[in-house]
Amino acid sequence: MNNFDSKWQTCAAQARQQPPGDLRAPAGFASRVLARASVPETPGLAEVWQALVARLLAGSVALLLLCTALEWPHLRERPTLQTGVENTVAQLLWSL
Amino acid sequence: MTTKEYDLAQCLEGARRGEPEAARALVEQLYPLVIRIVRSHLPVRAAEEDLAQEVFLKLFSRLDQYQARAGIPFEHWVSRLAVRTCLDALRAERRRPEVRCSDLSDEQSAWLEFLLLDGAAAPAADSTSAREVIELLLSQLPPAAGLVIRLLDLEEKSVKEISQLTGWGQSLVKVRAFRARRQLRKLAKTLKSSV
Repeated sequence: MNNFDSKWQTCAAQARQQPPGDLRAPAGFASRVLARASVPETPGLAEVWQALVARLLAGSVALLLLCTALEWPHLRERPTLQTGVENTVAQLLWSL
Repeated sequence: MTTKEYDLAQCLEGARRGEPEAARALVEQLYPLVIRIVRSHLPVRAAEEDLAQEVFLKLFSRLDQYQARAGIPFEHWVSRLAVRTCLDALRAERRRPEVRCSDLSDEQSAWLEFLLLDGAAAPAADSTSAREVIELLLSQLPPAAGLVIRLLDLEEKSVKEISQLTGWGQSLVKVRAFRARRQLRKLAKTLKSSV
């Protein structure tokens, strides 16, 4: 243990001597707690947002799956882009 | 219900059934335990009664989760809940108060010098200023680091007890304590050199 640590322990030992103060509950404390406990807790903004995001995500995934299922049979039928168009798009993307 | 009549199992049953008298007895019986923890880990800008209320509200909302298993007394479960609530409150308090050496009283400065200067004698027995200097330095630490030093040095808890109270593994407690002590030394030096 170095010098600072041993001195810290001396200081902490001195600090521990401080009396803990009044430990009795202030008047009406239990009533205030019970009154607050009886009120149904309203969800915070974070909880509402979390619930909405989860539902939104589930909905989006379901929609995506539905679209994929509908499109699946036609995927191979669809012709690819013409070479000229494909080259133009590639060049445009490259220039970006 | 007076203290003599207090029966934990009966109060727990009553509180779970929503009996106000049982819940009131539980609050009154547990208040000293809770307030002692709250006072030791109180964020700078929080009122102790508000935080104590927060602990009891959590206690009632989670009462069904407590099961009287062997080795986990109810008071221990409550202590853990109180420590976690205080830690959350400390984490929510993002900005820590800025302190300068010139803000310290003579007694506090004497303790700071004692901590940092070789050969400096310990100030005369003064638990209040010693506590204030310690609180001041701990308030500058990150919440988890401050908590571990408070529990170890001010409340004299063992690593095992801290692990049970916080839910951290014993090696994590040791690592956090080691790092916190190093940070404390640095903080004390910074405070001493600040004008």
